[in-house]
Amino acid sequence: MTGGDLPAALDGSIPDSELNPGDLSRRGFLRNAGLVGAGAAAGAALGVPSVAAASDSHTPAWNDDDRHGNPRWQGVGYKWLAGDHHTHTQYSGDAMYRVNDHVRHASAYGLDWLVITDHGSVQHAKIGVEKVNPDIKAARKDFNDVLVFQGFEWNIPGAEHGTVFVHPGANEVAVLKEFENSFDGVVTGTTASLPANEAVAIAGVNFLAGAVNSHRVADALFLANHPARKGLDSPHEIRGWRDAQPRIAVGMEGAPGHQAAGFKAPNGAGSGRGFYDNSPTADSFAGFPPESYRTWGGFDWMTSTVGGLWDSLLAEGKPWWITANSDSHMVYADNSTRGPNSDFTNNGFFNDPVYGGGLNLTQGDFWPGYYSKTHVGARDFSYAAVMAGIRAGRVWVDHGGLIGNLDVQLRVKGTPFGVTLGDTLTLHRGAHAELIIKIDLASQPNWSQFVPTLARVDVIVGEVTGAASDKDAFTAPKTKVVKSFDVSKATGSVTLTYDLGEVGKAQYLRIRGTDGKRSAVGLMGASVDPAGPAIDVVGDADPWQDLWFYANPIWVLPRS
Amino acid sequence: MTLVGLDLGHDTVLAAEHWIHDLVDRLGRPAGLVACTHMASAPRPHVVVSLSSPVAGLADGGTAVDLDPEGGRAVFYPGVDTLVGRVTVGHILASTAIDRIVVLGGGDPSDDQVVETRDFVRPLWSGGVLTLTTQPAWDGLLVPFETPNPTPCCADHR
Repeated sequence: MTGGDLPAALDGSIPDSELNPGDLSRRGFLRNAGLVGAGAAAGAALGVPSVAAASDSHTPAWNDDDRHGNPRWQGVGYKWLAGDHHTHTQYSGDAMYRVNDHVRHASAYGLDWLVITDHGSVQHAKIGVEKVNPDIKAARKDFNDVLVFQGFEWNIPGAEHGTVFVHPGANEVAVLKEFENSFDGVVTGTTASLPANEAVAIAGVNFLAGAVNSHRVADALFLANHPARKGLDSPHEIRGWRDAQPRIAVGMEGAPGHQAAGFKAPNGAGSGRGFYDNSPTADSFAGFPPESYRTWGGFDWMTSTVGGLWDSLLAEGKPWWITANSDSHMVYADNSTRGPNSDFTNNGFFNDPVYGGGLNLTQGDFWPGYYSKTHVGARDFSYAAVMAGIRAGRVWVDHGGLIGNLDVQLRVKGTPFGVTLGDTLTLHRGAHAELIIKIDLASQPNWSQFVPTLARVDVIVGEVTGAASDKDAFTAPKTKVVKSFDVSKATGSVTLTYDLGEVGKAQYLRIRGTDGKRSAVGLMGASVDPAGPAIDVVGDADPWQDLWFYANPIWVLPRS
Repeated sequence: MTLVGLDLGHDTVLAAEHWIHDLVDRLGRPAGLVACTHMASAPRPHVVVSLSSPVAGLADGGTAVDLDPEGGRAVFYPGVDTLVGRVTVGHILASTAIDRIVVLGGGDPSDDQVVETRDFVRPLWSGGVLTLTTQPAWDGLLVPFETPNPTPCCADHR
C-alpha cells in the first residue's frame, strides 16, 4: 500500500508492526537519536532543521493535551486531529477574509490543523503566494493550538481544482510559487480537457514528488477538490495522478464545502448544496451521468455512490482517500464585507474586511470546523504527522458533529490488536477476521447547538479485483452494503462487530453512518445500497437535518 | 438518423445557444424547428449546433458536420414557448416535443406533479426520445436538471 522512495524505516505511513526486523531496529536507532519522531514522521526524518523547528514548536504544549487542557483522545494509538484542507482568504479573487479570521474561527470550532488554499491565478502566482506567507507565519505564532499549512488551490490542467500543500519550511513559498507558475491551469492556459494538458497535470504531480525527494520541502500532498462538481475529473485522470505519484496524489474531497448553499431563499442562497448546480460542459467527461453533478446527503457522487467511482478505485487495491472541508470563501449570514477601495487585479488581495451592515444570506459557506471536519490519526501534534496520517488514509470525516470519536479495527478474530483506517490486515488464507467499530456517540452540541443522534451505521465491503483495465471505469460491481446496525436507541458509546468469517480473497471494508433523516435506495439498486443518501433538494437542503460520517477503507489480504 | 450540424467552434454551450438565439432573432423561426447544442471533443472540446429545418443564410463560415442526435440538447423545440413559470408534468408531455420526464434519484413522476421551469427547459435526446431530466426542489416542486444561472467556477459570490 505504500510506494515512493523513502526507506521503510523513515516512512511515516508504515507502522512499526509492518516493518521487517532490520528496518524496525533502524527506526528504533533513529528514534532514540531524535531523528524520527514517535510517528516516524517522514518530514522530520529527512532532517531539514528549520522544518523540524517549525514542527517541534507546537509539540510540547499541544501534543498530550488539547487546547482546553484535556488529554487528547487516542484511538488505536493515534491522536485524532480534526482539520480542513480547503479555505480561501483575501488573496483569492472570490473571497475576502484574513488568514487570521479563518484560523481563529478554526480554533474556536475545534480544528487542530488548517490549510490555506487561495486560488491559483495570475495575481496569486505573482503576488498572493508570497504575500500570504507572513500572515500564515503570524497565525502559526499567534495560534499555537492550530497547525496552519500554506497551500493553494491548483487549477489542475485539464481538470477541476485541487488542494496542493507543503510542510512548513524555508522553501514553502518558493516551491509553491514555482509549482503554480509552471503547472497551474489558469496561469499557464492549460485548463481545457486535452491530453496535452492532462500531461501537464501529471508533470505537476511529479514536480511535487521531486521537491520532496530533493529535500526542498519536507513533504507535499495533493487532493482533488469537489471532484464531480462539473464533470471535469475523468476517471482516467484521477487514476493517472494516483499512479504517477501515489505518495503525493492521495485522495479527494468526499464532501465538498459550501454546505450552506442549499438553505431556502430568501433566508439562504436557495442553490444546490455545495453549490453543486452545474451541468455538463464541453470539457466534461462525457460518460458521467446527470446525477454525478449533484450532492447526495451532502457528499460528492463519486463518494456517496456505493459501488461507484470511489469504490472502483478502492477495488483496485490502491489507496485513494476522502476528506471533508469548508471551502470557506464568504460565510453564510456573516455581516462583513470587503474593505473599501480594494483592487484585487492590481494588488493581488482585497483590503481587510470591514463591517458591512447587512447579512450575507446568499452566501453558502461555513467557517472552517463549523460543519465539516476531516479527522486524521496522527502520531503526534505536528505538521509532519498530520501529513503522514493523511497519506496513510487514517482519516474519517463528519458533518455537523454527528459522532464524537471513531475507533475502527480489523483484526484476526480472537487477537487483541488489528489494523485501522487506511491500513491492510494480512492474514493466512482462511483465517477468521472481524471488524470492530467503537463509536463514542456525540455528547456535545454541534455548532447548531443540538446534540446529533446517530441512527444507523453501514458496513460496505468490496472485492479487490485488481488494476482497472479500463482507466475510465467508475463502477465496482462487487461492492455493496453488507450490514446495517440500528444504533438509534444507543447512548454513550457503542461497539459494533462485523464478522467477516473465513477470509478467502482480498477485500476492503469501509463504514458510514447517518442521522437517518434522509435516505433513498442507492444508485446501484436496493441489493447494493438499500438506504443510501438521498439526492439533495435544490433550493431547500438544510445541512443540519441530513448528517453523515464516512470512514476510509481497511483492506484484508489473505496469503497462502 | 444523422443530423446535419454546424461547427462554428463555440467554446461553451452558452455561446452556441446565443448563436442559435441570434439566428432565430434575425431570420425567424420555422414551424417545428428543433435546434440543439451538441458536445464535441475533437480536435478540442467545443460545442456544435444543429438545426432540423433549413434556414437561409446559415453557413456564416461554419463547417457542416455529421451529428449523432443522441445527447443533443434542445434549445428550440415544439411547445417550448409554453414552458414558463410552473406547469405540470402532464402538460409538458401533452403539449411539447418532450416525450419523457425523469427525476434524478427517483424514476418517473406522476402527471400532476408541478415543474417550476425557471423559464429555462433544455431536454436532451436520449434513445430517440426528447427527455427532460428533473430533480426534487423546494416546496415539493421539480426543477429541470439544468440551472439557468449555474454557479460559475471560481464564482465571485457577491
